[in-house]
Parts: sequence; structure tokens; C-alpha cells
Amino acid sequence: MSNTLRPYLLAVRSTLTAALCLENFASQVVEKHNIPEVEAQTTKEVLLNPVVISRNENEQVLIEASVNSVRVSIRIKQADDIERILCHKFTRFLTQRAESFVILRRKPIKGYDISFLITNFHSEMMFKHKLVDFIIQFMEEVDKEISEMKLSLNARARIVAESYLSQFA
Amino acid sequence: MILLEANSYIIEESLLQRFTSEKHEAVDIKLVDFDGVTYHLSTPTSRTELHFSMAAPCFNELVSYGAQDIIQREYGTYLASATEQGYHCTFVFDLEKLPADITALAKKFGMLKRNVFAAPFEKAFKEWETELEEPGTLMTIHYREEEAIYLRANQDRVTVIFSTLFKEEMDRIFGKVFLQEFVDARRLPSIQNAPQVLYSNREPPLEIRHLPNLKDDESVGYVTFVLFPRHFEHPDVREKTISDIQLFRDYLHYHIKCSKAYMHSRMRARVQDFLKVLNRAKPDRSSTAEKKLASGRSFRPSPISLRPST
Amino acid sequence: MSRLAPVVIDNGTGYTKMGFAGNTDPQFVIPTAIATRDAGSASAPNLPKKPAFLSSAASSSHLASKRGIDDLDFFIGDEALANSKTYGLSYPIRHGQIENWDHMERYWEQSIFKYLRCEPEDHFFLLTEPPLNAPENRENTAEIFFESFNIQGLYIAVQAVLALAASWTSGKSTDQTLTGTVIDSGDGVTHVIPVAEGYVIGSSIRHIPIAGRDITAFVQQLLREHQEIAIPPEDSLDVARRIKEQYSYVCPDIVKEFKKFDQEPHKYFKQLDAVHSVTQKSYKVDVGYERFLAPEIFFNPEIVSSDFLVPLPEVVDQVIQTSPIDTRRGLYKNIVLSGGSTMFKDFGKRLQRDIKRLTDQRLQTSEDMSGGSHKAKPIDVNVIAHKKQRHAVWFGGSLMACTDQFYSFSHTKAEYEEYGPSICRHNRVFNSLA
Repeated sequence: MSNTLRPYLLAVRSTLTAALCLENFASQVVEKHNIPEVEAQTTKEVLLNPVVISRNENEQVLIEASVNSVRVSIRIKQADDIERILCHKFTRFLTQRAESFVILRRKPIKGYDISFLITNFHSEMMFKHKLVDFIIQFMEEVDKEISEMKLSLNARARIVAESYLSQFA
Repeated sequence: MILLEANSYIIEESLLQRFTSEKHEAVDIKLVDFDGVTYHLSTPTSRTELHFSMAAPCFNELVSYGAQDIIQREYGTYLASATEQGYHCTFVFDLEKLPADITALAKKFGMLKRNVFAAPFEKAFKEWETELEEPGTLMTIHYREEEAIYLRANQDRVTVIFSTLFKEEMDRIFGKVFLQEFVDARRLPSIQNAPQVLYSNREPPLEIRHLPNLKDDESVGYVTFVLFPRHFEHPDVREKTISDIQLFRDYLHYHIKCSKAYMHSRMRARVQDFLKVLNRAKPDRSSTAEKKLASGRSFRPSPISLRPST
Repeated sequence: MSRLAPVVIDNGTGYTKMGFAGNTDPQFVIPTAIATRDAGSASAPNLPKKPAFLSSAASSSHLASKRGIDDLDFFIGDEALANSKTYGLSYPIRHGQIENWDHMERYWEQSIFKYLRCEPEDHFFLLTEPPLNAPENRENTAEIFFESFNIQGLYIAVQAVLALAASWTSGKSTDQTLTGTVIDSGDGVTHVIPVAEGYVIGSSIRHIPIAGRDITAFVQQLLREHQEIAIPPEDSLDVARRIKEQYSYVCPDIVKEFKKFDQEPHKYFKQLDAVHSVTQKSYKVDVGYERFLAPEIFFNPEIVSSDFLVPLPEVVDQVIQTSPIDTRRGLYKNIVLSGGSTMFKDFGKRLQRDIKRLTDQRLQTSEDMSGGSHKAKPIDVNVIAHKKQRHAVWFGGSLMACTDQFYSFSHTKAEYEEYGPSICRHNRVFNSLA
């Protein structure tokens, strides 16, 4: 692990753990409604200051906390065109399956590649520390997966080109 | 399957099926090949007379480079007197007077598209044989709506230029990676003898820069194959070169699609992994105390799902 | 010649039918099987239950090891069966539904590029799905076809509806209606599916565990019992299949049929020439009562099965009786056969007679109970058999894909990009072949 990645993930982990103190909170705007306040943004007093943790300008995490919900948005490293398109496809593929991911937001927040929305219901249903583990592991593996996909694409391209050209040799 | 085949499997199969069937049935089949080529298999007059027609969008261009001669040479005995409406060439088989080796016949017609499209290549190689002083004529085949092949014979080489067009962002980027590898691959000692490949994005190569109506867009690229005499001096090698180079576009697009399919399967595996991690966050519910039914009896879900009694 | 013919692919559990629209028969009918290198090794590492923290690391290293293009090393269809010794064979479709998307994507890849030999970017595609398919499956299919293959447009049709459409060409059906009962009998299972106005009535679908495979097995059993000359065991399945396909028919009455056979054996008993697959010696097999007994198991299932005892006509009647009341007359009027196991001679006639009997009986009882004061209008029962029955689903697809409507009803690539895969959850119903 490179020397900036560890503190970066550590910072995300502790911020997230702190932010995940959620409780049930009925909407103060609409009667009998219970909505994630961080999404509604209507009741100022239950929103906390958003935190941006940034490893560099390409890799950032935005954590927006509120009384009953936390929104985590991740900007994934994209060094070039290939990584950009792979990242785009991958996050799209994931959001396509948001149904089974429960905490995945179907649309990322503007400026980020993928967003999660954790509400108090999720944190009641699931272990909080495991949820944090999931986000951290996700961040680690997404980078790995994208660079691996890129490598395999290059390797494939090479084999394809070689086998085509070796027909002439 | 890494390489695509030059012959068309579907035509061979369809022809063989007609050739071997004992009852001669009325037939009316329309088939398609790469690059917008269409075929029509029919029995318009009598059931023993099988008509086989082909149409290609760029047929007129191909004829101007000598496709008709090739058809005459390769398939002359089967050429029909009248060409079917809407198609460019028609062949007739008398199902009662077929040659002994029908497999070979079907194979031969499976190569029809390849042979017709070989016309400009053969012409270029012939031009080269005349020991040109000046570069030969530039031949253009608009084989797809927005893509074309350009060919020109020079003193010491024949240049084949493909214009490529990727409709989608992902294809464009994948295509770039692939084409870059085509350019680089020649550094390998084992394929030093392969034709030299050049690739330029957006910028047309010198040979065709003077042509009007070239699309100027990010999505357009040009791939140049420089064929040296060793690729077309020997007749056998020449045939092989023609087959291979024709399929370049299809080969490239096939592999781009395969890569995308591969990415999909990777992503599917990764999604499974992530889900596993996420599900670990859910407390294990199976170990909770046994559930009580309304009647007060305990209920344990059976590991074997019971079939509903009918 | 502005558009190239759409591609029609009907992926069934046993066989995949594919070809270009406008033709009357599919160009390829190949087993839905794929032979891959990794089938054995890929499933193996997943089987042992590793501790959770290890499993993800293990699977990612497995992915990394596949950095070559091993995933192109596979065969489909008959070639897959031929290579099953050195490759791992698997069937990506189970019970009509796609189970393994990785394999299915590659299956399509080779179907398109090697078998059909077309550039998917230039074509519209028509695919089929079983009734009650999950919308998620449609989305996954759309994702593969639009993203991997960049196709121009996609339409996913329900198999039963296509089978109905295929029957329009037969002389018997007068109006082009999408209301009817489809009896789809393939190799593994028989379905009875009511369709109203192009929509499947899901709650009334019934499955019958008797289909082609069972008939063959039954013929095989009969042969074993009656045959004097021993049929070599390795060929007996094939002989049974050939007898079933070439000589079987449905009789109006078994007792009379037995009598007919006994009185004039030379007229009814047939002989099948068979060749021993190992020694190449030819021998003759007498074909007797099997001829009419084989398809009889649809009408008298008790001959072979001990747990399923309802005859096919009764199942059809029950299906229609559980459907909404305003559709029932339409469903009786248009009973359509589809699939290879409905190809027996006179199958339709017998079915029609038996169903008619059931409905007449019911009408009679209700008339009697009303004391003759109510006269019911007799129910019109029509079983439609036609020439394209065997590949009815594919043929229906081919017909639909030829209409102008097809292009306006298909989801295009532009729409897909605008709305995403969810657009393919719904496919509009065709209403005519005009």
C-alpha cells in the first residue's frame, strides 16, 4: 500500500464511523414522513457540515452527515481515457444493480463517480463497523479492479494484434 | 475462436442443405454477411433450379476494379443469364446435375463475398507486377456507409488504408488501444515480416489527404497497412493476404465486442464479491431463536424445500 | 435495401433457433450448450467454503490469472458436444431462463459472429423469453446486446405470443387475434399458456411433466417388452426416437385401433430399417402398437406416470376455466400448438374432440340444472395445427420482425442510452401483421 493510501483510508474510516451515529427522525416538514434528511436538505438544524477527504485532486471522498442518514460519495482515480471509460462503465454496472446493494445510490452526486446513502434503517439492520468495512474495501478494490481491467485490455489487444499479424508472417 | 474465417458458414450450410435434400422443396431464404452483403436463395422457376443471388452496397465500385472478371473466372459455369432484380449477380444450380463433390461447391460459394471483394486487391497486385514508375491509381471502396478502404500500388509496396469509425465512446477508446497494439506488435521478432501498420486518429494519411468529403471528427481514424512484395509475390500467399486483410475491420470489431463481454463477466464477478462483503454486515439471522407459530408450536424452516402437494 | 434483415434468436432450454427474419425456417438449430475451458476450474474454487476474508482475495487472483484471452477458447452448439471430452460442457439456460450470463454472453457472441456471420451494429434483434420472465432478466439481456454488441434495436417477445402469431398463416385461423391458448411441448416439459390480447395470463399457466423425452422413453420401454430381435442397447434410444418421429400418430380410440391392428396386421405394422452403430450391420425393427400408443400418453397419462394423471385436454380445459370469464370463449376458439412434440398426426383433431366433449358436457349439465329454461350458446373449440409448428416460436418471431411495426416497437439504441436498460422491461404488443 502506498504511503498516502493508508492515511487516506484511515481518515475515511474514522470520519465515516463518527458520521454513522444515526437515529430515527421523523420529518419536520411533512407529517408522517420519514425521509433521509441529507437528501431532503429541508431542515437545516439536523444537517452536519459535509466533510471532504482528499488524497489528491482525482481521489476524493465527500461525506455528508445528518441526523438520520449519511451520504458518501467517492471520486475514483481516472488517469486517462481508458480508465475514465472503464470507471464509468463499472459504476454504471453497479448502479444498475443497486437493488441488491441496498445502500448504493442510483445516481452519484454531481462531481463524484459513485454515491452511497446509509440511513438509520440500514444501520439498524446491519452492523455499523461492517458497513464501514464495506465502504473501505470498496474503495480499495475499485481502484485495483479498474487498473486490472486496463491491464487485461492491453494484454488482450496485444494478443489480438499479434495473432492477426502473425497470419502474414 | 480468435480469428474469423473467410468463408461464410451460414451459406455453406444453407447450400449443402439444399444440395443434399432428397425432396426438392421450394426455397426462399435471405441471408446477410459482413459489410452489408445480402444473399437470396430461391427457386423461382422450378424446384430443381436453385437461384443464388448476391448484392453488395459497393458492387459498382468493385466491378470497376474487375469483380466481374473474378466472378466469371471462379463461378462462370454457374452464372445465370439474367440477374435477379435488386441483386448484383445471380448463379443457378441445377439440383439434378450437381458435381460429385458438393461440399467443395458449397465451400466455394461460401467464399463468394471474399472473392468479389478481392477484386481491387488483385488489381493492385497486378499493377505492382507491371513495375510501376509512378504510384498506381488510388482505388476506393465504400464498403460500409461511413467507412472505406483505399488501395494504391507503389513501386515497392501496396498500401491499404482503412478508415475506421467508432460510433460509441467505449468502442473508440478500446479501438484506440487495439490499434496502438497493431502498430507496436511488429516489434516482436516473430512477426517482423508482417505488414507495417500505421494508425492515425482524425488525420488522414498523405495518400488520401487530397480526397474530398473526408470526415473530420474525433471518431474517425485511419489504419494503414503497408504490404511488401513478400506478402503478394507468391500466388498462395497472395490469396491468404487478401482473405486476411479483408476481414480486418470485422476482426477488430469482433474483438472489441469480445473485450466488452469479458469486462462484463469481470464486473459480474466483482459485483458478486462486493455483495458478499456487504452481506457480511447483515447479522446472521439463521441462528436466532426458533420461531413460534400462532398455535404455539415451534417452527423450523426445513432445509429441503417441500414440493406443494398436487 | 435500406435496412438489413433483423436477426431472430430463440434461445430455448434445449435448442437455440436462430436466423434472419423473413425466412420461414431458422438457419441454425443448435443445442444451447457451451464448452469452455474454465467451466471446471472456475466453479471449483467457489465450491469449498473458505473463510470470508479469504474468498474475495482468492477470486480476485483468479480473475487476474485470466489476463490472456482464454475466454475466447470455447465452442457452442454441436461443436460443444463434440468437444465435451476436453472442455467443460454447460447449459446456460435452465427451465427457459438464463442462469449463467457469462456463458450466455459468449454464446451470443459466437452465434452472431461465427454462425450468423453478421455485424450486430447493422441489425435489429428479436429475442424471445419464457412467460413470467423476470424483468431483471430483460434488463440484463438489453445491457449485453446494447453495450457489448452495439445493436441498433431490440425487441424481446414472449414465446407464447410468437407461437400465436405463427398460427396466423395457417388457413384455419380467420382473424389475426392475439388471444388464444398455446400448447407448447418441447423436449423437457409441456406448457399450457393462456394469452389474452397479447398478454400472458400468468396465474393460469399450467405445466405438464410429459414431453418428447418421456414419449421416447415410453417407446423404448415398449420395444424392450415386445421385440423378439434384440435392439442393441446403445442404439435403442435412437431407434425409439426415430419410431416416434416417423411412424407415430394419434388414434381416435385405442380399443378400436388395437382391433384394427389385429385384424389387418400387414396393413398397420411397419418395419424400420436400422443400422447397428458399432458393427454397421443392418437389422429390421417391427413397429406395432407403439405407433399409436406413444402419443397416447398425453391423453392417458396413467400409462406411464403414476403421479401425474390429468389428461392434456382436461388440463387445457382447466386452464381456460381459471382464466378471466370474458376471455374464455376466445381461448377455446384459438388453441394453438407449438413445439416438436405436438407434431403427431391428428394430434390436433383428437385434442379438439376431447375438449369439445368436456365443454359440451358442462353446458349440458347447466342446461339440465336450469330445467331447460336456459339455452347456452355452444362453445366454439378450435385447435389449430399448422406447418410451421415445430419452430413456431421462431417463425412467429420472423413474421413479426418483418412488419413495419417491428421497427417502431423495438427499443432503439438511442432510447437505451437515454433511459437505460429499464426501457426493455416493457415491450409493446403487436396487433397485426399489416
